Amino acid sequence: MTEDDPTRVPRAKNGRAPDVLRVGGWVPMRCFADDEQVDFVIVGTGAGGGTLSCKLSEYGFSVVALDVGPYWRPLEDFASDEHEQYKLYWTDERISGGEDALELGRNNSGQSVGGSMVHFAMVSLRFRPEWFKSRSLLGYGVDWPVDWREMWGYYREVEENLCLAGPIKYPWGPPRPRYPYRPHELNAAAKVLARGCEKLGIKWCSTPIATLSAPRGLAHPCVYRGFCIAGCSTNAKQSAINTWLPRALKAGAEIRDLAMVGRVELDANGRVRGVHYHREGQWRFQRARNVVVAGYAIETPRLLLNSACPQAPDGLANSSGLVGKYLMAHCNQGVYGVFDDEIRWYKAPPSLSLTEHWNYTDEGKDFDGGYAYMSQGPLPVEWSGTQTGNHKLWGESLLRDMERYNHYAGLKIVGECQAMETNTVRLADEKDRFGLPIANVTFAHSDNDKKLIAHAKNFMRTALEAAGGYDIWAEETETAHLMGTCRMGDDPRSSVVNPDGRTWDVPNLWICDGSLFPTSGGVNPSLTIQAMACRIADRIKALAARAEV
Amino acid sequence: MRTRARPADRLRALQDALAGNARSPALLRSEPPVGAQESADVARLLNAGCAILASSVLADSSMEHYRGSFENKAMFVPPIVSTLALIASLHGASDRSARAERRRDAIYALSAAAAAAGFGFHLYNVGKRDGGFCWENFFYAAPIGAPWALLLSGTLGVAAERVRDTRPGGIPHIFGMAAGRLLAGLTSAGLLGTVGEVWLLHFRGAFQDPFMYLPVTLPPVGAGLLASAALSSKPKKRPLTRFWMKLVTVLGLAGMGFHIYGVHRNMGGWRNWSQNVLNGPPIPAPPSFTGLGLAGLAALRLLEGPKNE
Amino acid sequence: MNNRGPRYPGYNVLDKRDTPSWNEITRKVIDHRLTLDGPKFFTLEEWLTLRALCDCIVPQRSGRAPVQCAALVDHKMELDQRDGFRPPSLPSQREAWRRGIAAINEECRERYGGAFHELTGGQQDRLLRLLEEGEASSPAWGDMPAKVFFKRRLVHDIAAAYYALPHAWNEMGFGGPASPRGYVRLDFNKRDRWEAIEQHD
Repeated sequence: MTEDDPTRVPRAKNGRAPDVLRVGGWVPMRCFADDEQVDFVIVGTGAGGGTLSCKLSEYGFSVVALDVGPYWRPLEDFASDEHEQYKLYWTDERISGGEDALELGRNNSGQSVGGSMVHFAMVSLRFRPEWFKSRSLLGYGVDWPVDWREMWGYYREVEENLCLAGPIKYPWGPPRPRYPYRPHELNAAAKVLARGCEKLGIKWCSTPIATLSAPRGLAHPCVYRGFCIAGCSTNAKQSAINTWLPRALKAGAEIRDLAMVGRVELDANGRVRGVHYHREGQWRFQRARNVVVAGYAIETPRLLLNSACPQAPDGLANSSGLVGKYLMAHCNQGVYGVFDDEIRWYKAPPSLSLTEHWNYTDEGKDFDGGYAYMSQGPLPVEWSGTQTGNHKLWGESLLRDMERYNHYAGLKIVGECQAMETNTVRLADEKDRFGLPIANVTFAHSDNDKKLIAHAKNFMRTALEAAGGYDIWAEETETAHLMGTCRMGDDPRSSVVNPDGRTWDVPNLWICDGSLFPTSGGVNPSLTIQAMACRIADRIKALAARAEV
Repeated sequence: MRTRARPADRLRALQDALAGNARSPALLRSEPPVGAQESADVARLLNAGCAILASSVLADSSMEHYRGSFENKAMFVPPIVSTLALIASLHGASDRSARAERRRDAIYALSAAAAAAGFGFHLYNVGKRDGGFCWENFFYAAPIGAPWALLLSGTLGVAAERVRDTRPGGIPHIFGMAAGRLLAGLTSAGLLGTVGEVWLLHFRGAFQDPFMYLPVTLPPVGAGLLASAALSSKPKKRPLTRFWMKLVTVLGLAGMGFHIYGVHRNMGGWRNWSQNVLNGPPIPAPPSFTGLGLAGLAALRLLEGPKNE
Repeated sequence: MNNRGPRYPGYNVLDKRDTPSWNEITRKVIDHRLTLDGPKFFTLEEWLTLRALCDCIVPQRSGRAPVQCAALVDHKMELDQRDGFRPPSLPSQREAWRRGIAAINEECRERYGGAFHELTGGQQDRLLRLLEEGEASSPAWGDMPAKVFFKRRLVHDIAAAYYALPHAWNEMGFGGPASPRGYVRLDFNKRDRWEAIEQHD
């Protein structure tokens, strides 16, 4: 154990925070005392909390952002190794059950300053406009209490902040401007998807992706090393850790790493006073005028439930009884096939091409919702997990099929899950290393999800065959991303937060992450989480101007 | 007695000249005669420009075709032909004789022909990919503008031989056209074509560095000045055009410096050269402007007449 | 057993250790992994079972699975590096492995009269298929379903450890560590000179 082990000793303190763009570098950081009442304490620094920290501090609010994860400097801390990089994932214990139990950790939960964006696959897609009103316009799910045109503007803001590399013209949805940076060169795996689509006569395009295709300041362009979901060691990946958070620090926010928030405290009037958090071996209390919970769809409800007190015996903001309910994931089934050509899918970001055909086409479906599908590029450990899990191989057959690694290509969906009240995050009796009850997660697919999965697997199988693949097989169970559990709405009886992200029950308690999604859409959620964070920041600014914050 | 040609007539004459089917005496008359030494000097300057263009092509096509694993045997052609063109140009640049040299002539003609075929190959490569003639393929398939520099090297080289062949006291001409005008027009078009290629590649690079705008703004001005010189009816000193050609010449070398810096800016810097010289900005590309700048200066010498002041 | 030669003859990802494909921290973690050789968490008895299990799950053309495979599973248990979730029917991973190995050996003794590592290859194979199908019957399993243990711990942990070894990357023709140098040629049938050459029949 060295002095500078970011997993044991906090780096962001004493007036400085790590400079993520320089080896061994530091940037100055404004620091607040625990008993100083800051405008906002933000719990979590990922797509939701990281973005909001930046925006609120730039609007002049005093902000302290707390994260249980370490503060990495990717250039020096990230190895080219899947096993080592498990350190980026949320690997503290969680119990996961139900008919289609979720595999948590690697594929959906991070524990770093910067959140799970540190290991996200960088696919950055906008919602189809109709999804914000899916009940009214498409006849399923519930409506979001926001207008798509408003979100469209915030999407653009995020795309520019992340300097997305994407197509000059995006083939689906209302017109949008050119993406800031050019699309990346397609690897063979992405060209397999393209060939399949061309053969089947549907549109495809280069994926809008948050990794640089040209230099940007001190950040290097992508070198196509392919370790994206094991963490980007070059800073080509544009995420909270190297975009929003450096801006937040510059604007005067304080970020505390290795700081686990265990409880949000209410005062006698039912308003939030601050948060109890654990750092450097002791429990502390940070005073705040407002608290924003941004811990993602498991940790956010867990914290609210763990904060139960006499004024709120069922947990904070839970008068509706919906905290921890309507948990959603994305259907994430893959279809894989072998090709005579060498594909070598370990090279370049895994999902360089995609089609949103089945997100934007409503004809020919026997299910509600939609799905996108993307090219794939799993590295050996991940691929072995797929082979032993979904393909049920071990022994000689495992080794033999693993030897075909360089000839495999695959297509994988991000498919819309229907929100079900029975999919939940609750508290278990078991405690974690901080003595806090751990999460007990229950998940099962709806019948509609199953129809969507069957349709997608069937279609992708045809597409792979058309592209020249053989020995094709499909994954049974696989999910990605997490959403729901603190849904946003217009009605306090059927939602946890109002359209501004403010909880209905506690006026100075806010939520800003994927847990407020009422529906999941058929695209990766990170762009929408960030866009929503920008929107909530603007709402807070407007409300503050009217003295309503 | 001479009357000023109307601009439209002059433009038509130039178009005819460029199309290679003109025998316009008016165009011939408007240029000053040169001595034997002068024509050889101008030709040598042109040869120097060709040498720079050819070495740029040699380095660039070797690197890019190595990157493409020399998948097609035809991919060996540009490195070989540009090597020949480089040898011929170096020979020409050191040759003080006032007579054309047949082997140099043949090599230049060959490289122009190879470049024309190269356009065809590159166009085919873009079109055959999934998506066809779309932005992605213009970015990542065979670069459509790359054979341009070889074409210019070949064409300017053939022109150099013609200029060299001028009889003492005669007016340099190329296939019956006034050499100064033709060269100015050719160089002007060459600059614009090169700017087109640079624009595509710098657009591809999102103009992430403000200096990336220089090669798409300075050379077009030079191209305009040269074109106006080509269209002008009487010989006169053109200090601005001359200055601008020198600027373009220097720009090519500065661009190479920027690209060397750009490679260093990629992940791993020069330690990771085996990736970064291929994925970073192409170091040998910018000197094309230097070659064209020299050609522009050569054209000006013919247009302005001998240095006698 | 597989009699074909290796697909990528002569390819050794470790040859790239001192090239720009590996950065300092990668060298550090892989070097460390290759020094792992014995049990720190498991008892010697458990270790023998674990090594025999590795030989079955990731069988080798010539002899035994690399010792680092079992050692990496042991290392994961020693540091208690978890996956991020567990099914409700399994205890925490350390306890699951301890109980699982004990139950496997108990199951073996009841059926074949010896511990797992003492059985013949055929017996080991039959026993593992039995676990996979959920047909284990020894009371030693208690409330832990053998089928879930087999899938979530046994096969999962061993395969994840094996495919984290350079030895396995060589077999697959995987490029291995890649930073600062990544890759240039991304198209079909294209490789950079620092990638594995496949032997075509």
